[in-house]
Amino acid sequence: MDFDFPEDINNARKKAQEFARKEINSRMAKEYDRKEKFPEELRKKAFEQGLVDYTNPWSMLVTIEELCRADPGLGISATVSLFGAEVIMLFGSDAQKQKYLTQVQTGEKIMGLAVTEPGGGSDVAGIKTRAVEKDGKYILNGAKMFITNGTIADFFVMLIRTEEVEGKRHHGLSAFIVDSDLPGFSKNKLSGKLGVRATNTAELILDNVPVPKENLIGEPGKGFYYIMTFFNISRAYVAAQAIGIAQGALDRVLEHLNRLTKEGNTALAEEVQFLAADIATRIEASRLITYKAASYLFQFRPNPTLTSMAKAYASETATFAAEKALEITGYSGIMGDLERFFRDSKIMEIWEGTSEIEKLIISRNILKEYAEVA
Amino acid sequence: MSMEEQDLLRSAVKEFAQKSIQDRALKIEHEGIDSALLQSLAAQGFLGARIPEKYGGSGIDLHGYLTIINELATFSPSVSALVMLVNSVHAALIGDSEPEVMKKLATGEATVAVSFSDVLEGSWTATSLQKSGNGMKGAIQASTLHNSQYAIAFNREDGHLYLFRNGVKALEEDSGLSFRGLSNGPLEIDSTDFTVLSDRGLESLKNVVDSLDLEVAAIALGTAKGALDKAIDYVKVRKTFERPLKDYGPVGNGLSKLMAEYLALSSLLDTVDEKDERARLTLKVLSVDFAKRATKAALQYHGGYGYIEDTGVEKFYRDAMGLSILFQRPHHDTMRLSKEIFGEKSGYL
Ligand SMILES: Cc1cc2nc3c(=O)[nH]c(=O)nc-3n(C[C@H](O)[C@H](O)[C@H](O)COP(=O)(O)OP(=O)(O)OC[C@H]3O[C@@H](n4cnc5c(N)ncnc54)[C@H](O)[C@@H]3O)c2cc1C
Repeated sequence: MDFDFPEDINNARKKAQEFARKEINSRMAKEYDRKEKFPEELRKKAFEQGLVDYTNPWSMLVTIEELCRADPGLGISATVSLFGAEVIMLFGSDAQKQKYLTQVQTGEKIMGLAVTEPGGGSDVAGIKTRAVEKDGKYILNGAKMFITNGTIADFFVMLIRTEEVEGKRHHGLSAFIVDSDLPGFSKNKLSGKLGVRATNTAELILDNVPVPKENLIGEPGKGFYYIMTFFNISRAYVAAQAIGIAQGALDRVLEHLNRLTKEGNTALAEEVQFLAADIATRIEASRLITYKAASYLFQFRPNPTLTSMAKAYASETATFAAEKALEITGYSGIMGDLERFFRDSKIMEIWEGTSEIEKLIISRNILKEYAEVA
Repeated sequence: MSMEEQDLLRSAVKEFAQKSIQDRALKIEHEGIDSALLQSLAAQGFLGARIPEKYGGSGIDLHGYLTIINELATFSPSVSALVMLVNSVHAALIGDSEPEVMKKLATGEATVAVSFSDVLEGSWTATSLQKSGNGMKGAIQASTLHNSQYAIAFNREDGHLYLFRNGVKALEEDSGLSFRGLSNGPLEIDSTDFTVLSDRGLESLKNVVDSLDLEVAAIALGTAKGALDKAIDYVKVRKTFERPLKDYGPVGNGLSKLMAEYLALSSLLDTVDEKDERARLTLKVLSVDFAKRATKAALQYHGGYGYIEDTGVEKFYRDAMGLSILFQRPHHDTMRLSKEIFGEKSGYL
């Protein structure tokens, strides 16, 4: 067993660190946060410099970590423009891949994944948005809520109900590619988010939106399964976002403590030392679970239990780290980057499966495994 | 004030807040507390609750005052913190030497910017005031109510704490993490009309921050209650997997335990003896920790809606954290508590 990354991944990390040092700074991060502005130029640069390449998943994982370490809102915005691409990659037709994926892979276009609805996000099988076949098209009606890249995406992968199956709520759901310029498709930007305010979030309204039949992904009625497969991939990347946030918080704590010992010429209180040790330990543990989950995933042997553990634990580590970092750094933390990290970190426990939902998945799986062995 | 009187006062504050704050809570976060609200807080006798009647205040007792800021915090921690600043910081520092300023404070005619940046834990920033001819100039990196007519600030050069009566200019506001309704931001001072409030300025500032034990506890508990009330209402109606959220153990029982903690701490606050240092510190340390946990859980149980300001729960999460840094010296407070418990200096290594 070797715990060290091979050289190419270490190089990808270094490259992302270098990019973050050059392109992201506190003033800029604060400005985009306060103005709730999407950093399109930064996103473009990240593509131009070859940082965003999901065909190389390990490099992507460490890149996300490093960019979120510099700033969560900017780091996520720069790397999330292919959100949902794996659904098309795994289950889409060649024509769909050619038409839609090529341009998001080069950064020319932006996509999003729309699952959550005003009525619910955790309960994916409870989806109400409907698609009805008419004149060779699917006509979509309903609403999607909290959709990342909502007002800037060129198209979305959407989970829509095509059929009611009595007693089987997760049956009858289908995945579609929906172009955002179709008639009847409108978007309302959601402003006033607690954090990750540089990211773009919107509510999508579908009012008789006609979607060509060829935009159905895979088979009808299999959407729930496709999306769950997707979440097993994307949750590893969310864990990387969370690790980046936690590490970024720790960096700032260490900078503060270093200054304190130098300028104050005093020994650090043990309470503070213990907190710093706890943050560092949790980050290390988060990395180990996440890299293990990613290792299974990237070898096409996904382990949903591990992926959910990684997502839940790394997310709780991010909020723990940001909270404790503010407590340790006090006034300078609240006046600097850390107040943003504190606000940004909370989203980790909410999106792409709340911590509660991840824990339900973990316990359901371990109980099932136990029953199978017994 | 008897318990019955406290209950009556609480109802009056609640009624006022429902009418004058509830629907404007988000606007207060964005635009600050406007003069109309300031005036109506004054007209109700809440703004100058502890200020003596001779200056236009209500001169009510500590428990009445705590009831006011506790109840206001359930609607807007910013409004509650404003009342605390007026009574326990501005009036406490200014005192009888400035009757005109005290009158304006109690009636909401004027506000005072104040900066604690010289005494808060973890601060590297210090105010930089300098004598300039007969006047005084300088910059204050951050203060509450920075768009005020008056300012209180510390001068490192001579160690004095000053009240500036003119030449107080607000620079660009920065909403920051918490208490956004207080209009926080940097100040520029170029004043020719000022008074020394204390010649041991740093000590006075520290003392005033440390004296806020019960006020901070009252705001912390109100903040937690505001968030918990919203969460409890929400989980009764929000359904996942065809069941209301309240039916799930971690949600229903989690919120119930937090509510039980709230009730226990609140009953301590209602009867605390202000001279009992140990009780004061116990309440402050426990209430602030509790507020952080309760507001976090309340936000979480709102799911994605908790993350959006329109829902009105995220501000409690931000303010609970801000409270523990901006109006408190938490490390120092824990040491004070340890000294109370061990009878001598402890826990400092
Ligand atoms: C900024 C932002 C960006 C987002 N981006 C996207 C996106 O791009 N695409 C997309 O589809 N969605 C997106 N979301 C939505 C997000 O994934 C959902 O908010 C999340 O899945 C939770 O769903 P909900 O908000 O409906 O909460 P609910 O499902 O209503 O849950 C509310 C609370 O109840 C808890 N809960 C629910 N069921 C149980 C149970 N059985 N036991 C215990 N607790 C339970 C939850 O954990 C949560 O704490 C985004 C959200 C935000 C805030």
